[in-house]
Amino acid sequence: MRDVAIVGTGQTVHARRRTDVSQAGLVREAVDEALADAELTFDDIDSVVVASGPALFGAVNQPEKWLVDGLGGRMKPVVRITSGGGTGLAGALAAMNQVSSGFAERTLVVAYDKLSEGALQYQISTLYDPFWGREFAVGIMGFASAYWRARIETLGHTEEAAAMVGVKNHKNAFLNPYAHVRKEITVDDVLESRPLAWPIKLLDVPPISDGACAVVLASDDAAPKTTAKPAWIRGMSYYGEADNAPDRFMLQSVPLQLAAQRVYKKAGITNPRRQFDVAELQEPYTCFELSYYEGLGLCPTGEAADLIASGATEMDGDIPCNPSGGCMGANPIGATALIRLAEAALQVTDKAGGRQVPNARTALVQAGGGWANLRGVAVVSADRN
Amino acid sequence: MDTKAAAKKMEMRGKGLGSSVTENPVFPGRIELPYTLTTGRAAATFLAELANHKIVGSRCPRCDGIFVPAQDFCAACGTSLDEFVEVPASGKLSGYTETADGLIGLVRLDGATNDFPHKLLDTQLGELKLGARVEASWAAEAEGSILDIEGFALGGDEGGEVKPLEPGAEPVLEQKYEMRLDYAHSYGPYYGMLFDGLATSRRIQGTRCPSCERVLVPPREYCDVCYVRSGEWVDVADTGTIKAFSIIHLEFVGQTREPPYVYAEIVLDGSATRLIHTVAGIDVEDAKERLQIGTKVRAVWKGGDPIGSLEDIEYFEPVFED
Repeated sequence: MRDVAIVGTGQTVHARRRTDVSQAGLVREAVDEALADAELTFDDIDSVVVASGPALFGAVNQPEKWLVDGLGGRMKPVVRITSGGGTGLAGALAAMNQVSSGFAERTLVVAYDKLSEGALQYQISTLYDPFWGREFAVGIMGFASAYWRARIETLGHTEEAAAMVGVKNHKNAFLNPYAHVRKEITVDDVLESRPLAWPIKLLDVPPISDGACAVVLASDDAAPKTTAKPAWIRGMSYYGEADNAPDRFMLQSVPLQLAAQRVYKKAGITNPRRQFDVAELQEPYTCFELSYYEGLGLCPTGEAADLIASGATEMDGDIPCNPSGGCMGANPIGATALIRLAEAALQVTDKAGGRQVPNARTALVQAGGGWANLRGVAVVSADRN
Repeated sequence: MDTKAAAKKMEMRGKGLGSSVTENPVFPGRIELPYTLTTGRAAATFLAELANHKIVGSRCPRCDGIFVPAQDFCAACGTSLDEFVEVPASGKLSGYTETADGLIGLVRLDGATNDFPHKLLDTQLGELKLGARVEASWAAEAEGSILDIEGFALGGDEGGEVKPLEPGAEPVLEQKYEMRLDYAHSYGPYYGMLFDGLATSRRIQGTRCPSCERVLVPPREYCDVCYVRSGEWVDVADTGTIKAFSIIHLEFVGQTREPPYVYAEIVLDGSATRLIHTVAGIDVEDAKERLQIGTKVRAVWKGGDPIGSLEDIEYFEPVFED
């Protein structure tokens, strides 16, 4: 298996609603930027992976056939990957395997969703079993709020601690030109914001966004010829578990721990807090970031609230988390996980501009989808394995 | 396996717990979703100019193709297209077929690179042949839809030319769209047994994994953890404990309860799986303080005849021990 590097990234102007482009126009905007960043053209791309959320988000089934011209995928291998909220990283994993196996030298992975077009919570509720549970499902927010409430009781992941995550990520989003939500908030603002699914409140929740992200992956042979600063993918994995398995443990994501274990082993990570310079975490709600601190080993179980309170995950802390602002700046669901990967690549290649963590060489990426049952982890570094 | 045994096996397949293969009740599912789609600049212009009885295409600067209806990206080379042209409203038939709703033709407008499908009007299958001349017939009123062209009828002169579009109409950037999907889900033997029990006697049944001995609700053929075929059917109580809960204030399309209400994931006594339902019979503000992981609950069944669904349980109410 060959090593694989990120050699170009691109993102759209994310917005609550983009009325100037169709879904195809949206993906093309990210693709054009990624190709320009890599100084490549469509002719240099061997294959295309497109990733997006559930087809009902966009009202078009099998959207890859519709997008193929916008993706520059004509007469090339084109596949679509879909895996809920983590779909962007699942797409990157498929693309990485195409390159590492020798199937392609350079693969373009594009992830997007245009969430402004439909009724999001109901669309997500259709992912539930139609016989058993859909009647009472509240998108992803119902279960997410319920298990956060349980983690408050058992792990001390307080509303204040989650509010601190929101304050931090909103603050960081100011540094990110791609973020469309730029709002300075305080812990009190979060705590006093309107409850949506208590304990989840309005300011614990990211925006609903239209957006796309594109990343060009290249083999260890092609990468150095393409860029002087490749971001090496030193490990990437994606795990799942059955939604309603007996005695499913819901306070910590087991697939997340499995994915982290596997990726850390491949990348030689034994002390994540010390070895990572920066992390990009997919925190669709503030409470998830607290849970991921523990699942990813950035702190021991039950100490996430202390970690956020210590300031360690702030921009000037020892393990900055979400210098991009994370989902709080923009959350086009299908694209979100790929945005985390792209942001990590920017960090380790010193291209992150105002949100750059000084001297970052190794970055942690986390992605998640489903009812917390699909979780991915990646390690991106300026250094090869 | 000999032929006879194989035939016997095929005959048994799908019969589940003794029901027939094709004659079973189904669980109706309906998904109704509203959308406001964004058309993109090409489709927005095409749709808008239909009101002026203009058919808009896109010219590719790289390969010189003319694509109708107008496209954002060249179907031949992927180039981004921003030059719009007006294409003659007549052309030739490249293909046709008859459907229950009438004749459909593939139309190649004069000067265009591609065919597009539309209705064929005032003609019959026997009158059609490949290459026949056709021309657009316009609907009486324009609505910003492809059906502003009512269809194509035989006729139309040759010699029309593609010309630059003189923009006039305001682009139709957004379109309302309603998706309604009706499903008839097969219960299969496991859900069939469960819902029969609910409908006839308000019984909740699960299956026990012979390996880990945990009870799965809803019942399923294989244990998710052990991958062992589950066998024994067991009755599960309509009482249980709260595994997690939250309070829903959010309103959304498709919601079946009026907020605020308590969303709960409940483990029924005797089972090891989660059930998604609501908890009521307690003030929602009190619920914040009084409900906990492990709080006991019991089902409150709806009156009248059960329908065989989770909806037969109106809600779960807490049972406080003190």
